Order: sequence, then structure tokens, then C-alpha cells
Amino acid sequence: MSLQEESETPEIESGETELEALLDDLIVDRDDHMNAPAFVIRPDTVQETLGRLKEEAGYDHLSLVTAEEYPDRFESIYHLKKFDDPTDEVSIVVPTDSENPVSESAEPVFRTADWHEREAYDLVGIEYDDHPDLRRILLPETWQGHPMGLDYDQDRPQMVPLRENANPLQEDQRAESDSDTMFVNIGPHHPATHGVLHLETTLDGEQVVDVEPDIGYLHRNEEQMAQNGTYRHQIMPYPDRWDYISAGLLNEWAYARAAEDLADIEVPEYAQIIRTMGAELCRIAAHMLAVGTFALDIYGDFTAIFMYAIRDREEVQNILEDLTGQRLMFNYFRLGGVVWDLPEPREEFFESIREFVDGLPDRLEEYHDLITGNEILQMRTVGTGILPEEVAKNYGATGPVARGSGIDYDIRRDDPYGYYDELDWEVPVEDGCDNFSRLLVRLREVEESAKIIEQCVDLLEDWPEDERNIQANVPRTLRPEDDKEIYRTVEGAKGELGVYIRSDGTEKPGRFKIRSPCFSNLQTLPEMSNGEYIPDMIAALGSLDIVLGEVDR
Amino acid sequence: MILQTESPLPDLLADLLGLSGSGVAGEFVAALLAAFIVGNVMLAMTGVAGPWAKRKITAKFTDRIAADRIGPAGIGTIPADALRLLSKELIVPEGADRPAWDIAPLIVAGSAMLGFAVIPMGSGIQLADPEVGLAYVFAVASIASLGMVMAGYASNNKYSMLGALRAVAQNLAYEIPLVVTGVSVVLFTGSLRMSEIVAAQQETLISVGGLAIPSWFAIVNPFAFVLFLAANVAEVGRNPFDIPEAPTEIVAGFQTEYSSVYFVLLYLGEFLHIFLGGAITAVLFLGGAAGPGPESIGFLWFVVKIWAFFLLTQWLRSAAPRLRIDQLIEIGWKGMLELSFLNLVLTAVIVGMVA
Amino acid sequence: MIGILKGMATTMKHALDGNTFTVKYPEVAPEVSPRFRGVHKFSQERCIWCRQCEDVCPNDTIQIVMDEQRNGEEYNLHVGQCIYCRLCEEVCPVDAIILTQNFEFTADTKDEFAYNKEQLKNVPWYKGSDPLEARNPDRSAWVGEGAGEVDYQ
Repeated sequence: MSLQEESETPEIESGETELEALLDDLIVDRDDHMNAPAFVIRPDTVQETLGRLKEEAGYDHLSLVTAEEYPDRFESIYHLKKFDDPTDEVSIVVPTDSENPVSESAEPVFRTADWHEREAYDLVGIEYDDHPDLRRILLPETWQGHPMGLDYDQDRPQMVPLRENANPLQEDQRAESDSDTMFVNIGPHHPATHGVLHLETTLDGEQVVDVEPDIGYLHRNEEQMAQNGTYRHQIMPYPDRWDYISAGLLNEWAYARAAEDLADIEVPEYAQIIRTMGAELCRIAAHMLAVGTFALDIYGDFTAIFMYAIRDREEVQNILEDLTGQRLMFNYFRLGGVVWDLPEPREEFFESIREFVDGLPDRLEEYHDLITGNEILQMRTVGTGILPEEVAKNYGATGPVARGSGIDYDIRRDDPYGYYDELDWEVPVEDGCDNFSRLLVRLREVEESAKIIEQCVDLLEDWPEDERNIQANVPRTLRPEDDKEIYRTVEGAKGELGVYIRSDGTEKPGRFKIRSPCFSNLQTLPEMSNGEYIPDMIAALGSLDIVLGEVDR
Repeated sequence: MILQTESPLPDLLADLLGLSGSGVAGEFVAALLAAFIVGNVMLAMTGVAGPWAKRKITAKFTDRIAADRIGPAGIGTIPADALRLLSKELIVPEGADRPAWDIAPLIVAGSAMLGFAVIPMGSGIQLADPEVGLAYVFAVASIASLGMVMAGYASNNKYSMLGALRAVAQNLAYEIPLVVTGVSVVLFTGSLRMSEIVAAQQETLISVGGLAIPSWFAIVNPFAFVLFLAANVAEVGRNPFDIPEAPTEIVAGFQTEYSSVYFVLLYLGEFLHIFLGGAITAVLFLGGAAGPGPESIGFLWFVVKIWAFFLLTQWLRSAAPRLRIDQLIEIGWKGMLELSFLNLVLTAVIVGMVA
Repeated sequence: MIGILKGMATTMKHALDGNTFTVKYPEVAPEVSPRFRGVHKFSQERCIWCRQCEDVCPNDTIQIVMDEQRNGEEYNLHVGQCIYCRLCEEVCPVDAIILTQNFEFTADTKDEFAYNKEQLKNVPWYKGSDPLEARNPDRSAWVGEGAGEVDYQ
């Protein structure tokens, strides 16, 4: 183990000794992370350990599974949290030897581990015992090698024998002649999949018997790209491209938060307020599009609601363009602050924001008239796409999806960053667990974001002129110490967006791992739509509000 | 009851061109000519509606400009689009059931055209006025379902198949309420002949301050009118009942695999059906071609009424969500059917009491 | 039923008020913020060939060729590969490269987007305005007080 007892190891919390007592017979070693205590366990005790932590210690949220290869071993890290208190974290490190990297699967304990472990297998090459369906998830089935492994040869030809390219659907299509079901590929090019998503759907008449999302069409290995960039500037432009639906600043904050904590950078208060305001503007823009496209899925194309949502989103984008210089790919945050102060003349800028925020209640009224008040929409969405609270937690669903299932979980409030804890706002929660609840949560979140923006504008307006410090003094080259590990999350537009960084003493991250909320949320789709009608599955997919750029990364 | 005195269009033409003397052949030529005129007027209207009016109307509802590049108000889009669509490649899917796949678009468009044969359009434009006009028009309009099933089945595509099945289920569920509600009008008029149905609505119901309100059935029995409108919207497959196409669910339903000329036929066929639906509504409930002004401009009023129905479908499209297929069937069989029979009984009672 | 009618009333209101939020694009050029980042403009007169832009570029879009005496020979930039992050402008100590607000560029093939220094010099200002002032460049963190070394080569 590259175990270094660094001075920054988190102060020993009272809970930590209890954890040690709980896992006493399982712990092999300690390998603490900056954000949480981390216990090293043997690869055949994963289920036992996670089971105990879940049942007895209340760590019910498997936020992320990080896998990486070291010269002497493979390692899977399970980042656990509590839905009640996301600051209470613990990491479980599972090293496996590099000759035969087999580790026990966590899937029986946390359903969400299914996809996360498939990704780990796909990109890094760790195999998971007892996993129900260990196939590649992001790369094609026939891919040769594991791209994030150390011995990966990217020049190796991807040519495979013909038999490998056999039509994977042939079998399904030629089901027994008396079969009552029909196999349909919904996507990758389909009006309602919101991007290149492929749903392998089995239908019994109009009803969905089974649906399996097939993702990876937009995979760019953003993690590798981040590992090839320097902390100081080259990584920041890329988070904009994870969730590219105008949620850029929220994504940038995910990286900024992790990297700033890693390098111990203090962000000036003034910059924090600008960040908070910009992030909430992004959230409004993202939710507007979510509501608009959800309406598109239910109403059919050319619906007025979509265009009205786009019109309102356009105004947010105009404000963001004035602030950041771009409409989608902002690249506005820098480590230690933001790149620009508010645009001059400031009064005009504040005026444009106020105008938008003041006009918002009227617009929302219109949305409620058009969408939530509509009886047909209520018929369509109330009671369909049910995602019970326990199931949502098991799948690691976060964001509006979780809050629509009655889980009161919002990183902005529970694990505060930026300026959120100084401001007055609420976390909207609906306990309908259905499509309608998720829609309602988004609309109410827009209201709350507007509240936050208003308060930020008030603060910025009165900020003394000589204290407008937008950037901390950050060295030109950042070289965090070797082998520091950190996992930090922020509340993105779609949910808990996290970044795990392991430094290796150079100016580039040794391992950069993204926790994409859409990735976990999309995993709940079969749970919501099996047994329902096709239109309900489409509605459930719309209510998840996935962005394939973030699912596939 | 005053019978409409003007003769159907073919006779008129025969007289005009002096063909009446030449026996059956003359009648045939006159009928062909009349059908040609009516058919082209209707096609021209769909031509305006499909590539241009629909875009403009949708744009109005969604705060956009739309179709403004060619000609004044973008009206030049119509020939440009026609050229574009006709010059596209006709792609025939592998495994398509060939004759059926080719015939289906013709049936969809043709069935609507047939319906216009008995519609009195005012200004003396009516091709034929058979005794069973109303039954005929419902019968030919529903042939379109056959076309949709053929299109869906023959395309060898699962989405098309689903769309076709949906189309059948929907048309079965809504055809009956539609016809039954239509029959309630017949109870008033006592005739299935279109011209008589129109004539029966010309009498004055009441006079309010010198303004004579005609006894249009929409005014006599608004309940039946609303019911008929709803069933009619479902019959022509528009929002909130556009389930056979449902672009976000089954791509484009039965027409998924069609391109080029066949697509144009299907597309025009749908618009023709909307106009036919509007025409039936106008004849049954809105006094046919009646309106202020001399009788000779009746055709204009008729056109206004069908376009009003078209506008209604587009308006609904902008604001009404699509129902789910099971909800649609449920509303059809459990709601509309009962209501339409209730309406029939009520009408019978009223007619019995009044007469 | 009330809800549906309300929705229909709302859309009809929008249809009747005659407002549109779209513009006729080529005829009506959109308003672009002074900070907007479009195609680059390069000034050879100002450039000191420090290669900081080439260094900072996250995806190797900029290529600089120099002779043995470290005199600049070529400055190539692929505007089709660029992600418009503006880091090159941000690091430039002499404002030799700046992102104009010009967002309109077309080409038949991708390689036509590889601009050399002459092409970069001839990129027009959007609506004739130089955005440098509005950008309010704050380079203190880069040139002056930054704790790291400034390496002008």
C-alpha cells in the first residue's frame, strides 16, 4: 500500500473508532483520503464490509466506484456516504493483484454498483465476482484492451475476428416462434432519447417487459483527457462538455471544488458569490430545457411549451454570455476564483438579471397553466414511472430524481460550498415518486434558484469596490503532493456531480474520476418502466433528464 | 321542409357545356370534369395547409417567424417544398410487402377525396347528392384505417406495425361515437341526404333584436357538437389523439418508412382527412355553406368553416398533451360511447316532444 | 377540462400578441456580448514568440514554428479544432492573440480551418469592434504576482 500518514489526514472523528470496531475483523490497512477515512479490505470481503456499513452504520449511498491500476496492483474504491448527512463519508479500498484482478462485486448490496463496476471492468480491467452481467458498458463489446489500464496500447488495431462481430441482436429477434414478445431497438436515433441512447426494449404488445439502456455512443473518456491536462488551466474547459446542456458552471464547480481542496486554495468571498450566482443561472437554464423536452416527450413535437422554455433559457444564456463570454462552454471558473469580474457597466448587468428574475414568476405561472395544470398531463404523469424511495437510494439516484422520490438530499445544503449556506432558500421535495413529482421538483427548483440569484445580486451590488477580489493568488504551476486522494461532490443540475482526484506529484492528476449523476439516474429506468406502457417509459426517460455527454463522458 | 333547389355540380356543368344532350357519355364527361374541379380545389387547399399554413400557425403559437424566405409571407415555400419532396429518392424498405406498400398511400389519400363527393360546398358545388349521403361519407372516410394498416403492416418495421395497430384500435373506438352522434342530427332532419341536412338548418331558431339566429345544430344541441368535435379530432388522429403517429414514442407510426412521393400522398391524405372532418362538421352542425351575404358566396363560408376546424386541430396541437393508448381506448369505449348514446336518447326525446 | 382550456388560452394569447423571439438571422445580425469568444486574431507585430499560448492550449490547437535564432516563422491555429476556451488570450502578455467576436466561418474541408498567421491576421472584427477594452484583461495573476516562475523563453 502506498500508505503515507500525511499531516492532512482528516482529524479523527468519534465515528471513526466505531467504524473500526464495526469492521474490525475485515480491515487490513488504512489508506485515508482527504475527504474521508478509508479502510483497505480483502477482495473477497466486499459484500460483507459494504453490507455491514449499509445496515449497521447507515452508509446507504454508494456514491462512486473508482477503479485504477497501479504498477503493483489494481484498486477499486467504494465511496460511501449517508443520504442523511453527505459529509459523513467513508471509503473502502479493495486492492487486487495485477495478475488476476478479481474482486467481489458489491452489486448484491448496492444495485448501483452494477453499472459502476461494469465501467471499471470496461476501462480499467478489474473483474468482479458475483456480478450479474459483467460486460463492457461504454466501449463496444469487441474492444481490445482496457484503455485506462497501464499496459494499454492505443496503437493496437481494433480488428477482431469475424465471429466477434456477430449481430448481438440476432438471437433475440429469432426468439421461439410462439413467443409473445417483440424486441425493439429504441434509439440510438430516436426522437425521444435525448441524444444517442440505445434502449433495448422487449415489448409485450404495448407494454414494456424489459428495457436495457445501452450507453457509450458519446464516450470520449473525459477522465483520461483530464489526466492529460494540467490542474492549473487545462482541465477547466472540459467539465463544460460533460453535461453540455448549459450546466457548464455547475460542472466546472465540481472540478474546482475538488482541485481547490486538494491544493488547499482559498477562494475569495466575492468570487464565491459570483460563482453561486452563475451556477444558479446555469441551473435555471438546465431545468428549463429539462421541462421543455419533457413536455416534448408527452405533447409531441412542435409543442409551444418547448419553445417557451427555450425562449426563457435564451435569456439566461444572454446573461451568462455577458458574464462569461460563451453561451454553453463557459470556461469561466479558475482555480481560486473566476476569470472575470462582472461586466461593465455593472448596473446594466444587474438590471438585466433583475429583469429576468422579476419576470420569472409570470413565466412559471404560464408553465403551470400549460403543464402541471393540464388534466391530460396529470393523467399521463401522476402515478407513472414510479421510483420508490428505497429503490432510488439503492440505485444512488440523486438530484431532482431523488427529490421527486421524497429523498431530502441536496449537496448545496447538506455539504455546503460556495456561498449557499449564507443564503436563504429551500430544498423542494415531493414524495409522489412519479414523473409528475420530478417535473414539479424542477419547476420549484427554478423558483429557489431565482431566490438565490436575487440575494447574490443584492450582495454584489453593495460589495465595496476595493474588495472585489475575483481570484486568489494561485501559483502558475500546481503540483500537489504525491498520493493525495480526494473525492468532492457538488449539486449539479441533474444531481450529485463528483470528482475524485489522486495526485501523483506532477502537475497533472494521476487519476481523475467523474461521478456523473445521469449515469446513476439512468440506471433506474428499467425499475421505473418495466410493466408500463411505451409512452410511460418515454415519459420516465424524459423525467430523468439525462444528458448523454454526462452519462458516457 | 325546403329542399335545396340547385342541382349537383355535374348536371350544372352538363347544362353549361351543352353535354346533356349526348346521353351517358356526356354525363360521364361532365361528372369527370366536376370531380376534377372539386378534387383540385381540395388538393390545392391541402397544398396550402401542409407546407405553409401549418408552419405559420405553429410558429404563431410558439412565438417564432417560420417560413419567410420565398415570396411574400413565405408563400413561395409551397412550390419549393413540392419540388423538394417530389425530387427526393423513394426508398423502399427491404422486405416490404410490395403491392400493399404502394397502394396504402393511395388509399389514405383517396378515401378522403371520395368523401368530398357528397359534401354540399355551397354555391352549387356538390358532386352527387345520394339518399344515403351521410352513411356514405362516414363509410369512405373510415377506409383510411385500412390504408394505415396496410402501410404499417407492409413496411416491415416494428414502429410502423405498432402505429398501424394503434390506428385500428383508435378508429374502432371513435368511429362508433362519431357515427352515433352524427345520427342524432339525422333524428332532427329525418334524412341522410346531405342537402336536406343543410337545408334543415337554415330555418331561424330565434330572433334576438332583429338578428336571426339560424337553427344550426351546433346551437340547437351544443352537447352533441362538442362530442362530435372530440370524436372527429380522434378520428383524424390529431392532438391529443395523435397516437398512431406519436413521434416521440414510435417515430412516425405507420408512415415511418415512407419517403418522397408516397410520403407526400400520406401527408396530404392526412390533411385531406382533417378537411373532410371539418366539412362533415360544417354540414352536420354549422349549417353547411350558410352564412351572411348572398348565397353565391356560400363556398367561401364553407371554406372558412373547414379552415376553422383545421385551426382548431393546430391549436390543440400546441397545447394538448397526447393521451396514452390505453387511456385513449378507455375514454373511447367507456366515455364517448356512453355519452353519444345518451345524446342520441336525449335528442330522440326532444324530437319526440317537439314534433 | 379547465386545465386544458387554460393551456389553450395561454398559447392563443401568445399567437395573438404577435411577438416573436427568433430573428431573421443573416438579415438581422445577433447582438454579441463584448466578451464573446469567436475566431482568433493574431498580430505578428506584437507577438514576442514566448510560446505560452502553445503551452497552455488544452488540445494542441496552436502550432508555433521557430528557427534556430528563436525567431518566429509560423503561427498556425486550427479554428475547427479549437474549443474556444480563451486560455491563449489569457496567458498572452502582449495581447498578440485575441479572440474576436466573429463566430461566422465556413469551409469546404476541415483542413481549410487550419489558419496560418496571415489568415489569422485578416480575421475581421465582428461589427468592426475591438473587444479588448471590454474584456478588461486581468493578467496580474499571470504576469505579475503569480508565485510561479514566468518563463518567457
